Amino acid sequence: MSNNKLTVIDREGSTHDLEWEPDQTLMEALRDNDLPVLASCGGTASCATCHVFLEKEVFDTLAERSEDELELLAEAEGYQECGSRLSCQLDFSQDLDGVTVTLAPEE
Amino acid sequence: MPSQQPTENHLNPIIIVGAGHSGVAVAAGLRTRGWDGDILLLEAEKETPYERPPLSKELLKAGAPDESTVLRKEKFYQDKRIGRRAGLAVDAIDPAGRTVQLSDGSRLGYHRLVIATGSRARSLTVPGARLPGVQALRTRDDALELKLALVPGARVAIIGAGYIGLEVAAAASAKGCGVTVLEFQDRVMSRVTSEPVSRFFEQLHEQNGVRFVFGAAVTAIEGVDRAERVVTADGTSYPADVVLAGIGVVPNQELAADAGLLCQDGILVDGHGRTSVPDIYATGDVTRFTSTIDGTSQRLECIQNAMAQADQVAADITGQDAAETEIPWFWTVQHGVRLQTAGVRRADDEVIVRGAPADGKFSVVYLRDGCLAAVDTIAGLADFRPAKKLIAQKARIDPLLAADPGTPLTAAVFAAA
Ligand SMILES: Cc1cc2nc3c(=O)[nH]c(=O)nc-3n(C[C@H](O)[C@H](O)[C@H](O)COP(=O)(O)OP(=O)(O)OC[C@H]3O[C@@H](n4cnc5c(N)ncnc54)[C@H](O)[C@@H]3O)c2cc1C
Ligand code: FES
Repeated sequence: MSNNKLTVIDREGSTHDLEWEPDQTLMEALRDNDLPVLASCGGTASCATCHVFLEKEVFDTLAERSEDELELLAEAEGYQECGSRLSCQLDFSQDLDGVTVTLAPEE
Repeated sequence: MPSQQPTENHLNPIIIVGAGHSGVAVAAGLRTRGWDGDILLLEAEKETPYERPPLSKELLKAGAPDESTVLRKEKFYQDKRIGRRAGLAVDAIDPAGRTVQLSDGSRLGYHRLVIATGSRARSLTVPGARLPGVQALRTRDDALELKLALVPGARVAIIGAGYIGLEVAAAASAKGCGVTVLEFQDRVMSRVTSEPVSRFFEQLHEQNGVRFVFGAAVTAIEGVDRAERVVTADGTSYPADVVLAGIGVVPNQELAADAGLLCQDGILVDGHGRTSVPDIYATGDVTRFTSTIDGTSQRLECIQNAMAQADQVAADITGQDAAETEIPWFWTVQHGVRLQTAGVRRADDEVIVRGAPADGKFSVVYLRDGCLAAVDTIAGLADFRPAKKLIAQKARIDPLLAADPGTPLTAAVFAAA
């Protein structure tokens, strides 16, 4: 499998183009490319510091969020019902090649 | 980001002792913050640095792979030019000469030194504590040894009803072991949570076949070639094939203390991770520091703190500001039920139960002088993030509204008088 291309809009509004490797979750791709994603729970849907916004068209193609994920997101700043995801819960998939993700505000 | 680049001593690397959660986060954070000089991670264990929380959770499950969850993939260290020496311990620090001595006898000079040696499981000191079959759980090797021993029908005695003991109790009972938890206090997790939460988890464990003995003072472990039973002060003996001691941790501070760094049950650090000796930092489980929230001296044993202090160290070394520190928080999962805590509870806090434990999902709110100090959420995370924010603000909470699970926590805040 080849890498995905990923465009990230950071909290200052700057754009970064990254490679998303097949063995990375989206959180890992962000974190390991020096984007400011704390990921303090190591990807176990506990801390919500890996919150990102996806475009609605992309969001709609993904599996439902777990109850833990939903409860953590629903209270987050800027929560988008059809856009907010914990990036640690998103595995690599070729369908996600070329997507743009926006880092949610820090709390 | 402006960043201070190595000047004096620039030929020497920043040396980080210990590649656990905190040490690895310092290395990664230095690169994120633009540090260009050499970084060297020294670690006593041989394998790729890994996550500890899964050792007592996912890893012990039947059918779960033995591979540990690595903190960062091998490639990350190469890509970020983070040097690693694994399987080598640091034996001594010479602050005057700015060198460390390794277990193979060699010496390395450092530009800055970061001590991230973590903590170790407190050892049992009773007679028989060294018999085969008695173990603690801190490393991946410990976890794999335990996993092998947790076979259906095995009699497992767990000494200490803290979160590690209870996570193991859950894993062992799920595997069909007969589990007895021996605890000196009169309830589980008494150090970290309140009675309603303890009682809830006791019931949950009992429904899953775990037996508790409270007020149990273990006096000996007996057996011929290996542990066969655990004996308590009242003379009762509990037959056991496996004995797990989960009786807390002690900071790995000896290296620092021997080098003259101030230690007091933890290496003393300030809010930038600086120790009492210039150019030597410490971070994670091994440290003791003053809480910015309530001014108490504390040692925290959690990932949140390991990450937050790592950021403080990386920020200080590069001459930048650290990110705002998250409120301390912690999680544990037992029989599939998650307990997640924000803030640090004290025994004299006012306790407000939000919701009915009998429903299997509730929160407990802790007030100190009328302000939100901590929250436990059980089987639900809806209160977690609001609680973190309100604790940081020291929000005054209306106890009546907080007791109503239908009222969002944010709506239970007293309007400013
Ligand atoms: C089984 C288990 C489950 C846990 N579950 C959770 C949880 O669910 N949530 C949570 O928040 N926290 C949990 N914790 C606690 C958490 O893992 C620790 O707070 C965290 O690991 C601290 O990170 P650290 O880097 O300070 O120390 P460590 O991760 O302990 O790393 C220290 C490293 O230093 C090395 N070292 C020590 N001395 C030397 C030396 N002289 N030379 C070279 N290397 C040395 C050690 O080998 C070790 O690898 C758990 C801990 C355990 C053991
Ligand atoms: S990394 Fe903690 S929730 Fe995603």
